[in-house]
Parts: sequence; structure tokens; C-alpha cells
Amino acid sequence: NNSSQLSSLPLHILLHVNGVYYIFYFSATLAMIIYKSQVFSYPDDFLAPDLAVLFLMAILEVPRLYLGFKGNLTEAEAPLGLSLGLTVGSVLLCVYLLLWQTYVLWADVLLNAVLLSAYGLESGLKVMAIAAFVS
Amino acid sequence: PADTRDAAQARVRSAPAPVTDVARLCVCDLLVAQCDTNCCCDPDCSAEDFSLFTTCSVPVVIGDSQLCSQKAAVYSLDVEANPPERIFKLIDQVNPSIFCIHATNYKQALYLKSPEIPTAKNFDQLLEKFGGATFSAEPDSWNLDTDAQNPPEANETSRYEYGAPVQTEDAFLRLPSPVVSSWCSDANPAGFLVNQATKCIRSVSVEKCDSIQALSMLFYINSSILASVFQVNITVQSVVVQSLNGMRTLLSSSEVLRLPMVLDELCINAVLGVNYHITHTDTGEIIEAAAAFVLGAISREALSIEQSFEISFTQENTQPVPLSGNPGYVVGLPVRAGFQPQGYPFPAAFPFAPLALSSNKHSQLTILHSTSTQDCLAAQGARAPVLFGYNMISGCKLRITAAMKCQPLAQTLLDVLKGQSFPEYVASFGNSQAQDVLDWVPITQLHISEQMIPHSLQSSCQIPVSLGIEVKWTKYGSLVNPQARIVNVTATITSTTLKQLPSGRERIIPITSSVVFTDISSPAEPSYKAWPTINIKLPFDFFYPFV
Repeated sequence: NNSSQLSSLPLHILLHVNGVYYIFYFSATLAMIIYKSQVFSYPDDFLAPDLAVLFLMAILEVPRLYLGFKGNLTEAEAPLGLSLGLTVGSVLLCVYLLLWQTYVLWADVLLNAVLLSAYGLESGLKVMAIAAFVS
Repeated sequence: PADTRDAAQARVRSAPAPVTDVARLCVCDLLVAQCDTNCCCDPDCSAEDFSLFTTCSVPVVIGDSQLCSQKAAVYSLDVEANPPERIFKLIDQVNPSIFCIHATNYKQALYLKSPEIPTAKNFDQLLEKFGGATFSAEPDSWNLDTDAQNPPEANETSRYEYGAPVQTEDAFLRLPSPVVSSWCSDANPAGFLVNQATKCIRSVSVEKCDSIQALSMLFYINSSILASVFQVNITVQSVVVQSLNGMRTLLSSSEVLRLPMVLDELCINAVLGVNYHITHTDTGEIIEAAAAFVLGAISREALSIEQSFEISFTQENTQPVPLSGNPGYVVGLPVRAGFQPQGYPFPAAFPFAPLALSSNKHSQLTILHSTSTQDCLAAQGARAPVLFGYNMISGCKLRITAAMKCQPLAQTLLDVLKGQSFPEYVASFGNSQAQDVLDWVPITQLHISEQMIPHSLQSSCQIPVSLGIEVKWTKYGSLVNPQARIVNVTATITSTTLKQLPSGRERIIPITSSVVFTDISSPAEPSYKAWPTINIKLPFDFFYPFV
């Protein structure tokens, strides 16, 4: 009986895809930062914030995805709401990497744009899921 | 008023702003207010000048090509039009690579840094940063340590490597040598295992001779050498006193330290030469150091003296034998040769018995040395050592009279050609030891007789007229650092028939000897390491429960 199931399947699929894509994104961005530090002039004062933002985003991603899965599957709005809050933080960090990194390569622009669109879609689905659970 | 004046001065002193607009940049514009030929971007050129150009030397002016999209100024000549005219286009060049720089938030990334203009305020700081002979590219991260004389800890000086400065208590073991000019500089350290001999001039004055440090023996034996756990004192091996007319006397007692002093308008006991002998172990630890001095007298008129310094290193318990290469022969060093002592059997029968080959200097491979008199019989004994890699030819003239007997003449000529002790073996490497039999190559002796008359009588006289030594060598070892190795030595004696001369007549025969070095190395084949193999074995129950 589908109407009794409130968990959102598209959200679940999107969270999976997001997890896999994030692993690729993290390794690609890290490799590109290493490449940039070798090819361009990248002093330590500028390298440190970029690396810090990248690792902070990785640290935030894990609880964010976990809470998203848990909230969606248990149909509880509290973890889903927390996940939404963490998504806002991830979006800000992603925007930093897109606009305010020391060197923004074309590949950086592509990766970050895809990630931002995934976050946006996810946030929309989470809001709809919370609305479904609350009502 | 003071502020505005400072501001105005600061404005005047700042460097002009860098030009970054590609439309205004021109690298070939070298002449000021004149048109440079074939320079299409030169603003001083008019349309008539452009019609005379054949090609554009600078076709594109572009900034950093790593940017994703940037402006480029393209110059070209339209040769179809009459007269030819220059075409200037400002286009957007796109870098198709996915790793092109889309944006950068770091201003200095794409431009060269403008240098700081020195003012009264920052002059001292700039001088400290850039005033030395070198400065680092990242001055903030490295600290410039100009004091390079810090001696490291004792346990680091235990083992010396070739070329490392020999350290003493205060700094380094000094070997004064001429730097740039002929004047002595005391800052030259002696390198370990580097045998050096230097001569330099020092300015002296007889009045101050006891205060000049470099003239006294103490200066050279004062500090002790740092080596492993203890320090090695430099002992005085011998003292030779040289008088004003050059005669040298060896002093019997060398323990007494003689310091320079003024005596009868002469300065005596001034150091004219020092010869250091350092003994070391085979692991690089210095165990002994001795210095032999030559002391002399300086007269009042002399304003400078010449000092000579030498240092030599000997391994303990060995006799110093000059090597001709290590391991391959070095071009220009003598070819080492030796004999097999009497009584020893042929090497092939006893491969493990160490043969003592005497390889002293007098039994080297030598060749006849041409003299100015060119008379073979008068110049017996003048020999020159065969140096590796140097083809040599020498000779002399032999005057034959009717009275000379054949056999003694042949024997004399053989002595002239081959020398008193012609060796039997030649070392195949420059550092071959006498005990390694297999490292020595036997000299093959050939006799060729030129028969002038095919049907000569049996009792005709054969005298040797030329000796040709052919040394075949090959390149041995690695491709990047091949070592020369002697493979074969052949000594060929050519004899000719001596016809009996009628009495009263005499003949002059030229006698020649030559040494030829031939390179018989086969072309090198590079060899590569084998590809690494990955050995992966699965456990035998890997496919449980299917198998």
C-alpha cells in the first residue's frame, strides 16, 4: 500500500548518488590542488585555507548523508532537518571552492557546479519529505 | 608641507606601472621613435613602412596562455593587397584544456612582482635581504646563515668522504693557495684524499716578521684535527733549513719548535714550505698527521716570499703506489707493467697462488726517447714512459760501419729498442693489484723479419730496426661511465737483413719505436631491469562455497 509509505524514494536514490559522487569529487579536487601547487606559484598562506575548506566539507558530508538516510528511512523529521542544516554549511563551502579559491580551474567549475545542483535538488526533496512526515 | 613633500617623493620614486594591455605591448619595438624592421606591432611605423615588410617577426602577443579565455593581439601582413598592409586583430583566445585557469584570487600569480624601490626607510632591510652574494627565492621561510664556519658535532666528523674539508678544532685544515691572483689566501681548506700542491706569494716585511702568523710553524700545527672520538695532533716530521743561497740542510732534531725572529737584518725560521702527510684507515678515519717544514731566511730587501704547500694522504699499512686510474685507465697516466718473479710456475697451472709482480717505477713500460743527437748508440738509457692513450713514435739513427759485428749489434739494438728491463705483464686496469693474477695481461712478442732478398743465405745478419707496441683497449662497465681496460698488448720487433758493407763505407739506418692505442670496444648494448612481477596467490578456499 504505497500511500502508507512516506519515505521518499527519489531522495534515497539521490543521497546514494551524492555519496558516490562526493568520493570522486573529493579525490579529484585534492589531486587538482596538488597539481596546482606544483605547476603554479601557491604559497602556504593560500594553500592552507583551501585545503582546510576541502577537508571540512569532507568531514561534514559523512554525518549529513547518514542523517539524511536515517531520517528518510525512519520517517523522522528531526534528523532530516539536521541534515538540511548541514547541507546549508556544505553549500557555503562549495560556493567558496567555486568562487574564492586561489586558482579556479575550469574542471573546478564543472565539479562544483554539479555538486551544487545535487545539493539544491536534495534540499528540495528533503523539504518535501519533511512536509510529508509532519502532516 | 612635510607630508606632501614625502608623498610627492614617494610618487616620483615608485616604479612605472606595468603594461598589461596586449594591444599596447610590443617586444620587437627596440628602437625609440624609429621603426623597427619587420616589427608589425611597432607604433612608430607608418603605413608606408608596413608596405616594405616581408613578414611579421612577432605574430601574436598574448598574456599567460594558461588562462581559459584571454585577449590576444594578432598581427599579420596582407601580401595580396598592393601595397602590402598590416592587419591588426584583437581576438579572444580560448584555451581548450579542462585545466585552464578560469579565475584566480591571488594577484601575484599571473604577474611578475614589482621590485621594491629603496627609500631611506627600507634600505637597511633590503640590504640585509639582498646584499649578500646569494639570496633565496623565499626569504621568509629560510633564514640566511652566512656563518658557514660552524664545526659540526664530533660524531659527524668521524668518517670523511672524498673531498670533504678536513676539520680541525677552530675551522679547517688550511692549505694556503692562490685565489684569483698569486697572493696567498688562508681560507682554502684541504679536502680529504685530495692530494694538492700549491704555491703562492705572501707579502712580508722583516721588521714585523715575528708578528706575521703565516710565517711561523705554530700557525700550521696549532689546531688538532677532529677525527672519530679523539683529536689527532699534527706532529712535526722533519725540518729543513734553507739558507739564502738555496742550500738545504735537514735538521737532526725536529722536536724543537723554531719561531721566526729577527737576527742581523734577516728574518730567520720563516716558513717557506709545508708538506702535510695524513694517514687514514680504509674506512675514512684519520689516525695520524705529520708536517714537514722548510724554513728559510728573509732578507731586508724582500717584500714578498713564495710559499709552497703540499698535502698527501696515505692509507695505513700500505705503500703509496700511484694508480693510473681507478679502475679504468686515465688518459695521460703511465701504463703499469710488471714481471713474474723467477721460480714461479706458469700462472695457468696455479690460478690461486698470488703472484708477486714487482711493479716499481723502473720496470714500467717505456719507449725509446728521441734525443737531439739522434744517435742510437750514444743515447742509450733515455726512455720515456708509455702514457695511456697517447700514441707515440720515436726513433734514432744508427750509423753502421763495416767493422761492426752482427750479433753484438743486434743485441745492442734490441736493448736500445726495448730498454734494460722490458716487462712481461701489463696491468689491465689502472688499479690492478699485484696479487690479482687475472688482472694482468701478458705482453705478446712477435718477430717479423723483412726479407729483402728471398733467397738469402742462412748466415745473413738480422738486426731489429723497429719496435711497435700495439695496446688494444676496450670500454668496460656502465654506459654512462665507461672505464678503459687494456685487453691485449703486442710488441712486434721488425728485423731486416744487414748486408755486409765493403770496408770503409758506412750506412745510416733509421730505428723507430712506436706505441699505438687501439679502441676495440664493441658497441654498447643498454640493458634494462626486468619488469616487476606481481605474485598474487588466492587462498585455496577462496571460492567456497561454490567450489
